[in-house]
Order: sequence, then structure tokens, then C-alpha cells
Amino acid sequence: MEYLVVALMIIVFLQTRFMELRRSTLCLALQSALIAATCLVVGIAHGGGLHGFLPGILTIVVKVICIPYAILRVVKDLKDEREIVSDINVNYSTAVAAASLGMSYMVIDRIMPNIAGRDILATSMFIIMTGLALIVMRSRAIMQMIGMITMENGIYLLGLIMTEGLPIIIELGIFLDVLIAVVILVILTSRLRLNFNTTDTNVLDKLKG
Amino acid sequence: MLEYILIMLCLPPICAIICAVGHLPNGLLHWLHRLTTTCVCGSVAMLAYKFDPAKPFMSDYFYVDALSLWIIIIIATLYMAATWTARSYLSREERCGILKGEQLQNGRYFALMQLFCWTMFIVLLVNNLGLMWVAIEATTLISALLISYKFTSQALEATWKYVMVCTVGICLALLGTLILYYAEIQALGSKNALNWLYLFENAQVLDPSLTKLAMLFIIIGYGTKAGMAPMHTWLPDAYAEAPSLTSGMLSGALCSCALYVLIRNLVILLPTAGAVMMGNMLMFFAVLTVAIAVPFVVVQRDVKRILAYSSMENIGIMVAGIGVFTAASLKGVMLHMYSHAMIKFVLFFIAGTIIQEFQTRNMMRIRGMMNDVPATATFWLTGILGILGLPPLGLFFSKFQILGAMFSEGHWLAGCALLILLTGVLIGILYHGMRMLCDRTHIKPLGDLITFTDTFALMTLLLLTCVVGAGFANMPWLNNLLDHAVRIIGG
Repeated sequence: MEYLVVALMIIVFLQTRFMELRRSTLCLALQSALIAATCLVVGIAHGGGLHGFLPGILTIVVKVICIPYAILRVVKDLKDEREIVSDINVNYSTAVAAASLGMSYMVIDRIMPNIAGRDILATSMFIIMTGLALIVMRSRAIMQMIGMITMENGIYLLGLIMTEGLPIIIELGIFLDVLIAVVILVILTSRLRLNFNTTDTNVLDKLKG
Repeated sequence: MLEYILIMLCLPPICAIICAVGHLPNGLLHWLHRLTTTCVCGSVAMLAYKFDPAKPFMSDYFYVDALSLWIIIIIATLYMAATWTARSYLSREERCGILKGEQLQNGRYFALMQLFCWTMFIVLLVNNLGLMWVAIEATTLISALLISYKFTSQALEATWKYVMVCTVGICLALLGTLILYYAEIQALGSKNALNWLYLFENAQVLDPSLTKLAMLFIIIGYGTKAGMAPMHTWLPDAYAEAPSLTSGMLSGALCSCALYVLIRNLVILLPTAGAVMMGNMLMFFAVLTVAIAVPFVVVQRDVKRILAYSSMENIGIMVAGIGVFTAASLKGVMLHMYSHAMIKFVLFFIAGTIIQEFQTRNMMRIRGMMNDVPATATFWLTGILGILGLPPLGLFFSKFQILGAMFSEGHWLAGCALLILLTGVLIGILYHGMRMLCDRTHIKPLGDLITFTDTFALMTLLLLTCVVGAGFANMPWLNNLLDHAVRIIGG
């Protein structure tokens, strides 16, 4: 478990460093794979069975295979693959990630002192906040999408650790929602490309007041 | 009872699949759409007829009590109106809309509309807070496709903002729900996970520090979906860029749905998190929402955006009414939800018609509606007077009740602030609305495009708000239903 926590932290920090869409997507797939591994470890620790393995298997199918595949398909169509941000912006998002790591340890210690899975809880909060930072600070549509899934991953991990898994039907519903959300965002992204010739959301500034 | 619920949940997706496959000619699709909706609304009517407010209906996955039935009635009414006016609206859009035909596909529109109402019915029928979250997220996704229906640049921009802001908000609500589940496991064990009724009966034993944390995330999360202030930025864009029928549904039905889920969650948190803290928080967000809407209403140029900001104002009033937590104010909120949904649907429909008639959305360029398009102008005037809360339309009575409850419960500061802000909204909307009615035209309109079906549907909605708003006390069945709904929330 400790190794998984460290690996997750590293991969989420890496997520904030990438500017290229393809690598960023692959990094997201790796991150989801680590989440799936955590799910399986937790599931086995709680005695296996369908309910133990289902979250991990679903995570692999939905978040490691389907979602990155869908995103990569759009990325393939994009000519201008690099994100139009300066390095300083990337450094900002890494800085925010570092700050949120410290903050999440402080929050966890304050709200739930002496809880068993302190590190993994703090890590999941760190993933949530980093996802939020990616949505807010990056302007490419694909990067915002990746930030959204990162955030969702963090919330899912937090829920899994705190509650040992939701009822199966709710879990299925959440996965279905995430999958549909990505499909819709992919449709919107390709429409953005058709209408604006770019997927940089900075061009979306016509509606005001 | 279960058979009616199953009809409500089975017919719309079947119709949506048939419409989406798209082999049927347009005329047949219209009638299929209408037939499905009428059947579903018929089963809602039967459900309401057979329902006894004192004995909520329960099964493994479904739970219907007075509160959910009331919102189901609101949504079914709008669903009916939106379906029966769809034909004339879409044909007008093809003839004189901004897009002129080729990009409009009626099959896709019908399929999405059916799915949209279907997801909202799921929200209202399930008995589990987790499933409610799943269904609310599904409404976001389906309505995103409805908002981007025309795929113009503006529509795409509005949809992107809508999906991003709402998904982040809804994710926070999921976090709140998970914390609530954690509190449930700590206090009660993992049986009956997130079952609303079970939690409601055992709400006292939850850990207060956890419920307070959950409350924070849930208010912000579902508040985003309802359009509460600091996270409202998606609202004017989405309402303004969606096709007008969809705007009406978003403003009337979806907003009521989001408030419903918020209420369901708050009821669980109320005993441990404390009514005072919760009330003050809701009151703060309510006043903030109205305060942000006012300046935009006053300087507005776009005929649909002004209605969107007026929606924000009404959401503020409803949230303030929930924050008071007394029987009178909650009854006011129930009535306000109803009247606001009906009148706002009429207004959005008329705004869409005005845009088609004058080929512009700029209110400064629209003049002389009374002379040139009298039928549209009459509905516009009635709707405006209704939304501003002038009697005899329903919003007068509900606003009066909510504000009265605020003052009698000692929230006089928030009450005064709301009154002053509402005056600002009144001046803004009345000024812009009246300008459009008087004077002579600069642009020659394409003619009065309101058809007989539209007139009938809109008249019915407006009359319903008058009757329900003014006379609910004299209708024993309705009064009983509302009393039970209010008792659930804890007035």
C-alpha cells in the first residue's frame, strides 16, 4: 500500500508537468491503473468476492481502457497538439499541487485525527485538488477533461478508502456517468475544433453580461 | 402504484431509441413524441389520483411521498406543455430561426427531450441518495446535448461552461454524499446504505462534525446545479443559448429537481448540523444570488439572458424560503417552485417566438409589439407581470408568503435586503419589457407566429398558476398534499 501511495503522488505530480496531450493522456491512463490497483488491494484486504473485485475491474475497463482510448482518438485529429501555455504556467500548477499536498495532510489531521489510512486519504484529497487546479489553470479542452477525470479519480479513491466501497448499483451508476461525460466532452471537443479551429478554451469568451 | 412508476420509467427511453434511430418520417415522430408524453403524464395523473399523502409509496428502489409527487406534477406539466408546443416551435425554427433548417434534426431533439425528462423522473422516484446523485449527473449530461443542440459557436461555449462548472459542482456533491455515507457507517453500519428513509428515521445519531462537513459540500454541489451564486456563471449562458423550449425546461423543471435533491439531503443533515447554521448559510447564498442578478437585469440587452437572470432571482427567493425552515415559508417555496416553473416556461417560449418574429435577440431593437404582434405581446406582458409577482398570478402569493415568513421569523435583515433587490429586478424587467411593447417598430416582424395549440398550452399554464397560487387553501386534496410535503421537510 505504501508503494502505491508514493507512486500515485509521483504520477499526479507528473500529470501537472505534461503539456503534450498524448503523453498527458497516457499519464492519465497510468494514474487510473494505479487507482485500480489500489481498489484491488483494498478489495482483497476486505475479503474479495464480487463486491471486492468489481470496482477494480470496472476502473480498468472504463478508466484505463475506454476513456484514454476515446481521448486519444480526438487527440489524433488535432494538428496543434501542444498546449499554448508558457512553462511558468506549468510550474504554477505543480506549485499548486505541492501546496495542496501539504494542505490535505493538514485537513485530514484536523478532521479525522488518528485515522488508519492517513496517507492514502491525504493522497486522495491531493488528487482531488490537483484535478481542480488542472481544470482551472489549463486552457486546452483536453487538459480540462483530464483534470475532471483526475478529480473524479480522487473522489472515488476517497470514497473507497473511507467507506470500503459503495453499493454496487451506485458504483455502476457513477462509472456510467463518467463514461457518458467523457463521450459528451469528446463530441464537444471535436465540435470546438470544427467551429474554432482550435481546442483552446481561451477562445470561448463571446458570452458576457 | 408500481405499474404507473414503471410506465413512467419505461416509455420515454423506448420512444427516445425509436426517435434517435430516425427511420420514421417527421410527422409520425411528432405524434409518437406526443403519444409517449401523454401516456407518461397520464400515469403521473393516475399516480397522483391513487396516492395517499399520509402513506408514502415504498418499494426496493422507489420511494414516492408528498414532496416528490409535487415536483413530479410540476415536471409532468412542463413536459406536457413542451411536447405539445414542440411541433409549432420546431417548424417555426426551420422557417425563420437563425439556422434555417438544415442543421435541425427533429428526431435527435425528441430523443434528447424524452431522455431528459426520464432522468428527471428517476431523480424524483429513487429512494437512495447515491442514486439521486447518479441521476442528477445524468440530467447534466443529457441537458448538455440539448443546450448544444444547434452546435453554433455560442452554443458550444455555453455548453462547455455548463458541463465543466456543473460537473465540478456535482463532484463536490458526490464528496458530500460520501462523507454522509461515512457518517452513516460510523453510526449505523453499512446496511441500508444511503437509503433516504432509513437515514431520515435515524438522522439524530449521525456525527455532527461529519454532517457539518457534508452539508458544506452538498450545499455548494447541488447549489451549483440549481444556479446559486458564486457558482452560477454557467446559468445565463446555458439558458440563453439553448433552444427556447429547452430553456423553459431547464429553468422550470431541472432547477426544481436540483432544489428537491438539496432539500432531501438537508433534511437528513438538519437534526445534527443545526437549523440555525444551515439557515444562515442558505440565507447568505440566497441574498448573494439575488444581489448578483440585479445589475445584470438592469443593463441587459439580450431577451433570453434577462429571463435567465430573473431565474436566478427566483432561485434566490426559494433558497431563502428553505433557509427559514417554517411551515409557512416551506409551503411558500413549494408554491413558488410551481408558479415559477409555469410562468418561466411561458416566458422562455414567448422569448423564443419573439426572436423568430423579429430575427434579433437585442431588446433595444424590438419595438411596437402591441401593434404588430398582439398575441405574442399579450402573453409577454402577462408573463412579465407574473414573474415580477403581481397578482393574480401565482408568484405574488408565494413571494408574499416567503417574505412574510422571513420577517416573522426574525430574518428581517435578509428580508429587507431581498425587498430592495427585488425592487431593482422589478424596475429592470418592467423597463425593458414595456419598451418592447410600445412605440412603433424599427424592424418589420414576420407576423404573429403563435398558433392555436401554443395559445391553448400557454393559457393553461398561466391559469394553473392563478388557480393554484391563489386558491390552494380551498382545495382540500392539494392543501393536504402540500401540508404533508412541508411536514417531511420539518416545518
